[in-house]
Amino acid sequence: MADISEDTEVKVATDAAQHFVDTFYPTLGNPKTKATIASFYIKPTLVSPQRPDITLNGNVMTDPSEVQKMFETQIPKAFYEVQSFDCHLVNPNYNVGLDDAALGPNKDGKKMSIVVMVSGSVKYYKTSEEEEARAEARGFTETFVLVPNQDAQNPKAAKGLKRWLIQSQNFRLVL
Amino acid sequence: MMQRAAAPPRGPRGSSPSVRGGPRGGIQKNRGGGGPARVDKDGDLVMDAGAAGGDKRRAGRGRIGGSPQPKPLTTGRTNAGPSRGGNHNLHRAQAILRGMESKQATVLETRITAGGASSLRIDGLSSSKAASNPDRGLEALLGFLERKASGLDAKSNRPVKIKKSSMKGDSVIITASQDDIDQIQKLDKFTFAGSVLSIRACDPPSPRDGKSVEKKETVSQAAQEAKDRFRAILAARYDANLKLLNLSALALDTGLREMGVFDGSTTTSKVFPAMMVVCEGLFKSPQEKRDAIISVTLADNNLADVSAVTTLAQTFPDLKNLDLSRNKFMDIKGLNAWRWKFRHLENLVLTGNPIESQPTLKDELLRRYPNLQIVNGVTLRTPEEIAAAKAVAEATKSPIPIAGPDFRDVSQVGENFIRQFLPLYDTDRIALLGTFYDAHSVYSLSLNLSSPRSPEHNMPIQPWTAYIKFSRNLTKLTHLTARMSRRYKGAQAIQQVWSALPSSRHPDLQSHADKYLIECHPIPGLVDPSGQSPRGVDGLIITMHGEFEDQLEATTEKSLRSFSRTFILGPGAPGGPQIRVVSDMLTLRAWAPLALPQIASISPEIQPAIDPEQQKRDAITMQLVEKTGMVPNYANLCLTETGWNLEQAFIAFTANKDRLPADAFIQGVAR
Repeated sequence: MADISEDTEVKVATDAAQHFVDTFYPTLGNPKTKATIASFYIKPTLVSPQRPDITLNGNVMTDPSEVQKMFETQIPKAFYEVQSFDCHLVNPNYNVGLDDAALGPNKDGKKMSIVVMVSGSVKYYKTSEEEEARAEARGFTETFVLVPNQDAQNPKAAKGLKRWLIQSQNFRLVL
Repeated sequence: MMQRAAAPPRGPRGSSPSVRGGPRGGIQKNRGGGGPARVDKDGDLVMDAGAAGGDKRRAGRGRIGGSPQPKPLTTGRTNAGPSRGGNHNLHRAQAILRGMESKQATVLETRITAGGASSLRIDGLSSSKAASNPDRGLEALLGFLERKASGLDAKSNRPVKIKKSSMKGDSVIITASQDDIDQIQKLDKFTFAGSVLSIRACDPPSPRDGKSVEKKETVSQAAQEAKDRFRAILAARYDANLKLLNLSALALDTGLREMGVFDGSTTTSKVFPAMMVVCEGLFKSPQEKRDAIISVTLADNNLADVSAVTTLAQTFPDLKNLDLSRNKFMDIKGLNAWRWKFRHLENLVLTGNPIESQPTLKDELLRRYPNLQIVNGVTLRTPEEIAAAKAVAEATKSPIPIAGPDFRDVSQVGENFIRQFLPLYDTDRIALLGTFYDAHSVYSLSLNLSSPRSPEHNMPIQPWTAYIKFSRNLTKLTHLTARMSRRYKGAQAIQQVWSALPSSRHPDLQSHADKYLIECHPIPGLVDPSGQSPRGVDGLIITMHGEFEDQLEATTEKSLRSFSRTFILGPGAPGGPQIRVVSDMLTLRAWAPLALPQIASISPEIQPAIDPEQQKRDAITMQLVEKTGMVPNYANLCLTETGWNLEQAFIAFTANKDRLPADAFIQGVAR
């Protein structure tokens, strides 16, 4: 556990969380970017068959594509405001689904898993202008576990790949 | 005090010359003799009658069209004038009033007759960022003032309320009770949305002309007398059987005419608010009022609009039946002052008004009043239809249906943790740390100071002083050093924070399960403290939403907070406790009621493992499952809601089966 310095640990975790909330919520709310929602989640592969664990308001979603489809078909537009978030390191050396050769620690924090908790408000809009004016803000709390994106670790990986992906997501309207 | 039960929602501002606020504190009505009464700065009578005529600053307000002659104090009983309608019930009605007057004699608020409470002029809104809001920032400013002013005096739990507001040019004029005005005035030079506010006392209302000095000394006397007369009139007009307050044909009421309240056009608009204030004072609680009066008739009052009687909505917000027949309402505009009132109205009568012939009237009324069923005696929709419409409305507010908690425990580890955590956190945090936390456990808390609030629960937010220095809200905390220093690692560091935080009281999980939503999922890839599994071990992630009450040792003040808390639990190190907390993240926000699933849900963790009672219930559940084709979970819900009465549960099922989701049934459809 002592392989990563405390400041690296906090820096990597908070930066990852910051980047995540800054990109994920705008994607959910914007009709133009919704098609990329599924790309925020881990993908099961032969080597690593694990699926993301997604629960929205107590409803278990079996697959990220289901989440994306729901946003595409049932939520024309939404505006999320992240009013508070916090994060902790969970495991400095997250090895789920890795080859035996890749089990070693990483000093730069690239193998960390991170838990993020967000508290904020959301407005769901219908399409018409009138509805927009009347949409009321609801409070939500959402917890994520982010894990490293193995594809992004590869030196030959395409640029712009997300470095962290959602392994676990739990959304709840609290107001 | 649990803050949930706090202040009633704010009414509309500045829309009417109405009286705001409930009954003011008590005053003994049987003040000795005819000595002149003193009026305190709030316009209420002062209790010690000895201070005769001491304070005349604000005299002249307390008159209710009264006569200058002091009359002997009377009770409602002896003075009951001739009345219409409810005479045969006079006796019973009087009995009700009699019962109340001994307990609470409420002064007829003197403010209703004239200027009333004090006013302040506030400048600076127009240069603030809020000025671009649709209402030019008025609502934001008022909320700001109330919140800040309420928070000024940490010892006082009393929320500051602004009664009326209006905009004059770029200035905002507000009215509030003198105490509240004093508080609000302290906010002078405060910064609101980037602009410094200037708060000054308003120019005093122009002196009332022609009111002679000698009248002032009898003002309260007259008010007291007027109150008693109103009581008598109200008593005669109350039908306890029908729970009906008959306010029809007020202009013909001899009692009112005797009082001279209908002798001129100016007083006519005052009599009604005055009467409402007296009404208000008759009841100890809103509940008592709701129980006593469910219907009001205002028939035969020549009303062209509701401006003269608008206070009815404040005094009886929960009316179910309202009769406005035989008035002069021309169109729906005449009812606009009640556009957002009477949310529980079920039956409205408008016969004998010109408005009756309007074809769009019924649709508009149904749109305005969500619970309205009957208009002019015709049933337009059923309670079932209303419930269905509400369900649809709720669904559009949350496109993701709100289901019960998803609690996927492993060997009851999560359940046992929560059961131990909650009471221990409230009573013995050190023991809690010793039980579940080790040198690697991480804890932090974050404050969300801008969380949305429910419009129905607008009470002031208690200061967060005790928490703010620990808050690791990363939207605010951007420097790495701060981000590091507010993350507490190891039981010792956590203990230091926990001992500095206010003591807390969480609702009992068993008896107040509805105050919580707790979810639990397995999670892979945690550190194995034994070092044996390089790929990590499995654990649980638990997210809990709820509320608690906190109290600082230094004060007796209690505040209710809403929270969410996420735990990651993993297996403990060898030789230590079996379960350890890997991560504990707490987020706090202003209290608001938790959005619970539409069908009250039973969290699996609060069901006792096995007991005879449970077995009996299981048997009943299976019977209902057989009868209805519902899955056991839903059958269980249905039975819980009907007190485990199989017959009633079946009736409830029959009534609701069309609205149940497909997954409520074993074969996906209702049988």
